[in-house]
Amino acid sequence: MIDFVQNCFDGVMLGSSYALLAIGFTLIFGVMRRLNLSYGPSIMLGAFVGTLVFLEFRAGGLAVAAATVVGAVLVGIYVERLCFWAIRQGAAVASMVSSFAIWMQLEEVVTIAFPDRTYPFPPLTRTEPMDFGPFFFKVENLIMFACAVALTLGLHLLLYRTRFGLRIRAVAENPDAARYMGINIAAVTFLAFACASAIGGIAGYLIVAQDGQITPLFGLWATFKGLIAMMLGGMGSIPGAILGGLLLGVVEAQNIWYLGTEYRDLCAYALLFVFLVFRPGGMFGHTLAERERLALRRV
Amino acid sequence: MDFYLGLLQIIGVHTILGLSAYVVMLTGQLSLAQAGFFAIGAYVAGMLTVLAGFHIVPAMLVGALLAGVMAFIVGFPALRVKGLMLVIATLAFGEFVRLFFFNFDYQISKGGISVGPLGGEGFRQIRFFPENGWTSLDVMLFVWAVVITVMAALWWMDRSRAGAVLRAVGEDELAAQSAGINLTVVKVAAMTAGGFIAGLGGAIYAHYTTHIEHLNFGVILATFAIAYPILGGLSNVFGTLVAVIFIQGVLVEGLRFMGDWRNLLFGALIVLAMNVRPRGLFDERVTALLKGLFTGRGHART
Repeated sequence: MIDFVQNCFDGVMLGSSYALLAIGFTLIFGVMRRLNLSYGPSIMLGAFVGTLVFLEFRAGGLAVAAATVVGAVLVGIYVERLCFWAIRQGAAVASMVSSFAIWMQLEEVVTIAFPDRTYPFPPLTRTEPMDFGPFFFKVENLIMFACAVALTLGLHLLLYRTRFGLRIRAVAENPDAARYMGINIAAVTFLAFACASAIGGIAGYLIVAQDGQITPLFGLWATFKGLIAMMLGGMGSIPGAILGGLLLGVVEAQNIWYLGTEYRDLCAYALLFVFLVFRPGGMFGHTLAERERLALRRV
Repeated sequence: MDFYLGLLQIIGVHTILGLSAYVVMLTGQLSLAQAGFFAIGAYVAGMLTVLAGFHIVPAMLVGALLAGVMAFIVGFPALRVKGLMLVIATLAFGEFVRLFFFNFDYQISKGGISVGPLGGEGFRQIRFFPENGWTSLDVMLFVWAVVITVMAALWWMDRSRAGAVLRAVGEDELAAQSAGINLTVVKVAAMTAGGFIAGLGGAIYAHYTTHIEHLNFGVILATFAIAYPILGGLSNVFGTLVAVIFIQGVLVEGLRFMGDWRNLLFGALIVLAMNVRPRGLFDERVTALLKGLFTGRGHART
């Protein structure tokens, strides 16, 4: 029983990093209704920029974090211009395939610029794990959890308390109506993309700092974990993305403990498949039938 | 010479893979599970020739049938969702298959060495072709015989009622349903056919590379599979073939002199192609133009 509860705690901590990745995905998907497969690789490139700053200038944690976020945002803008801005509305598949081609590009850039593949990354803290009765927590995990909560609150305020947030929600709800209201869709999309990249950069920094190293494989990992967490929660819903991330984390933590690491990803994909098939809207999205009824009402 | 024969084999196998995605795409669905069906065909056929001593043709058919059955089983639940959700559901299934083979061990001892799939190490020594004295030319001809069979079957299907039904569903599901078409039957049938074709491709792939491992069947291969018909357009099967020649022959091989920088240009060219021709290289206009050139009727139909 104690194992089970400890696994749940570990899972929530692990899941908070997934939740952060999923929020970035949700922001992009919610506004554009398109999938950005390059999301993980752009975060990975940002983390390599952070490593570069760390190795070249022996910079501290804050500077490395800033470099990671700036790198992720710049690469994110590159992806947005090529795969989303340049390809007309409606061609969602062309965008997805293009973003995948950019993924290959980004991995190649990293392999050329960083030939050793695995590079050190400065750790968040060096403090010992803390004990609470029979349970223990890693300090890095607690920091990550706190950051996830803070970022979520910040994003909530941005979306529901500012005019910019109102514009984002208007575009997400109905792009045509938003255009008639004089909203510059391209600009809103661009800024939402930059926001998502910045969130991704912060998430990437926290995750990579916890691992203490970065490899080019991180891009694939981040895309998949973020995608699964987003789908579990329901596409386009931010509370859903957070819960999806936490659920994925808890399931994985239980899995690692009871079945072993080799089945960790297998079970994550099986969970996603089951969710997509039997509850396509995720935990927080509408079910398919409800969504169709809503669509009809709009007509 | 062997280099070009090898390249022709690669183009052939990728054409089969692209056509398997093409069938599903005709119904308007996008499946990233094709790499998974490809992997099932590869492992099953490889195990049959290596462990059970089958000839390549029955082994290939059994592998393809099994892949088709898996596609049928997956198709039913998966086709409850559509669009991007289906892309992700099939992606999840494809990765599930890959990770299954990553954990899959089944080895027997044969002539003092143990053969068979060994988890992350992969499945080595699928030596049906060299053991039976097939030359590269024989293998290439065999690959293309299968490619031409598949293409001819799809070409014929496109001209029969089945093709019209598939395209009707792809064009407008609601209208197709009103015309009395059972959407589930059509989509699951397309998925099953796609799985079968992908399984054929996988079976051949396993035998000419002689060594397969789970990494060969990842999301990269799945994306290539759908990229061919997207790039080639859905007007007819030749679009896919042209796209495979363009990607595998021109981009992958032709850019080899660029060394490490190849993928950079590769990505840029794909993005450019998608920007210029979002409906594929061979879209309706190009097809009509070519048809006009060959039948001498000029721009009669545009």
